Amino acid sequence: MRVLLAEDDAMIARGLVTALKQSGFAVDWMSDGQSAQAALATTTFDLVLLDLGLPLCDGLTVLRGLRRQGDATPVIILTARDETPSRIAGLDAGADDYIVKPFDLDEVLARMRSVLRRAAGRGDPCIVHGALRLDPVSRTVERNGAPVVLSAHEYAVLEALLQRPGTVLSRAQLEDRLYGWDEPIGSNAVEVYIHGLRRKLGSDCIRTVRGVGYLVPKL
Amino acid sequence: MNSIRARLVLALILVVALVSALAATITYRRVLNETSVLFDYQLRQMALSLRSQVSLAPRIEVPPDQGDTDFVIQIWDLFGARMYLSRPGLPMINQTVLGYANLSVEGQAWRAYGLQTADGVIQIAQPIRVRQRLARAAALRIVIPLSLLQPVLVIFVAWIVDRGLKPLQRLTAEVQRRDARSMTPLSQDGLPREIAPLVAELNRLLERLRDAFAVQRNFIADAAHELRSPLTALRLQMQLLDRAPDEAARNEARARLGDAVARAVHLVEQLLALARSEPRETPVAFVPVDLATVSAQAVADTHAFAIERNIDLGLEAADAVPLRGDPEALRILVRNLVDNAVRYTPPGGAVQVRCTPAAGGALLEVDDTGPGLAPDERERVFDRFFRRAAVQESGTGLGLAIVKAITERHGANIMLGSAPGGGLKVTVSFPPAS
Repeated sequence: MRVLLAEDDAMIARGLVTALKQSGFAVDWMSDGQSAQAALATTTFDLVLLDLGLPLCDGLTVLRGLRRQGDATPVIILTARDETPSRIAGLDAGADDYIVKPFDLDEVLARMRSVLRRAAGRGDPCIVHGALRLDPVSRTVERNGAPVVLSAHEYAVLEALLQRPGTVLSRAQLEDRLYGWDEPIGSNAVEVYIHGLRRKLGSDCIRTVRGVGYLVPKL
Repeated sequence: MNSIRARLVLALILVVALVSALAATITYRRVLNETSVLFDYQLRQMALSLRSQVSLAPRIEVPPDQGDTDFVIQIWDLFGARMYLSRPGLPMINQTVLGYANLSVEGQAWRAYGLQTADGVIQIAQPIRVRQRLARAAALRIVIPLSLLQPVLVIFVAWIVDRGLKPLQRLTAEVQRRDARSMTPLSQDGLPREIAPLVAELNRLLERLRDAFAVQRNFIADAAHELRSPLTALRLQMQLLDRAPDEAARNEARARLGDAVARAVHLVEQLLALARSEPRETPVAFVPVDLATVSAQAVADTHAFAIERNIDLGLEAADAVPLRGDPEALRILVRNLVDNAVRYTPPGGAVQVRCTPAAGGALLEVDDTGPGLAPDERERVFDRFFRRAAVQESGTGLGLAIVKAITERHGANIMLGSAPGGGLKVTVSFPPAS
């Protein structure tokens, strides 16, 4: 899962980046509104954490611009503005959730999961696909009721593919979800994770579309 | 006596009394004069008519006066013997004065007229009391109606004053009904010209109060808002410390937690400094201060920060730069300026503090080699919580607001310009100590 964090306070941003990485997200941090717009224009994110009081370009402007372009990427506003009119303006501008600083880290993560779940069109917090059951809260996977131990990256790849079964994700798209811009990517890292997943879950669970990418077949 | 109505009524009573007294006096005088002329004429006419009778019948027996008149007639023969007295028993002085005369007999004043005839002297006399009685009666005729009118006037005036003061009572009621925090202007409709200026001034005062309250309220809101960021950082780092997977992560989280605490402490200190630098009801007494010493202290305070950021920080000061001021506030002023310069100058740059006596006052200059300030930002940097766009440094946004408040309290002038090295030059000029 790749997350864009638009936050001008370096201390808060660094803390959030650490916390999100620990929770298995790939995070890109932008400290002003214009950089955030540029990032959104060039990269696909699964979720945006947006501060409202951004320099150069206000957070609400970033959000409105995003929605005007028809981009439905889930956006959670993280701000110190707690007045009701400000919350209403944020939600009406197209935000999916609104969190007031100072926030609780666990709550932020729970709300991120909730927004991602709804964006994927699911009500059940767990993703169930055939014999597979994936729990985004504990980040664990079960097969036929038996726990399967996955590495953080393997889990991230499986989660990305299970979000939309039947949809092909290219290697580049998967890499995008695994790494932020400042992280080095191994040349065949995705192949390694796919290989590991097939070994642990059965070779038919993930199919390769040659020259295009990978998919989990629809049931 | 602090009531307009009572004062007016009292003044009216006094004026009416004075006018009555004056009218009575004038009337009394005039009537006395007029009756005198008339009675004098009558005295003379009586004497003349008696002369013709006396000369016709020199030894006529004039019957004694019947007592129904206040005139007294005396006749003397050529030898000075009194031949006739109209009212015997009256103690008349046996003296003859020709023409008009004022006589005094046994403490009573008389007006007399003496006429020389061929056979002797005829004298007619009348007590002056008669004339005074007439004048007094005339004067009373003026005073009595005026006195009777007095209570009517008093009631009437009291009523008029009450009516005149109605707008004031309305105003009082309006002010009484007011909520303590209501700063809306008072209505000025239908107010008399005498009260309207007072209400206008009150409204201006209310407006100033409203502005002052708004500034205060905004400041508190801003301060609360600004406190959220360091608190968010604190909470975040604490939770990261709790969930750190290994010792290295724990150490890093602990270090960042320390930074977040330092930041929160710094913000609170700056807020306190700002509150202290605002004008107060009892201003701190100014004492002689050496700006050079204060600057040296401030530079020493910031020294560690400058080394950490690899900034060459230097002070160039005259031996003594005397000034009158609040030493603690001045130290905060210099420290904030130096701290700002160090904070916004890229590593490897230089910050130079200069402190010189000038034209009876003193001059403080802080030059840096940072990016400087765009002209449109030069006014706004003094606003509370203003932070420059796209600057990564996490200041509180209060430093220059504090500096501004302290310079204003010292009557000093602050200017932002360009330093020779291309950075920002801050100049604070203190006026001569008077």
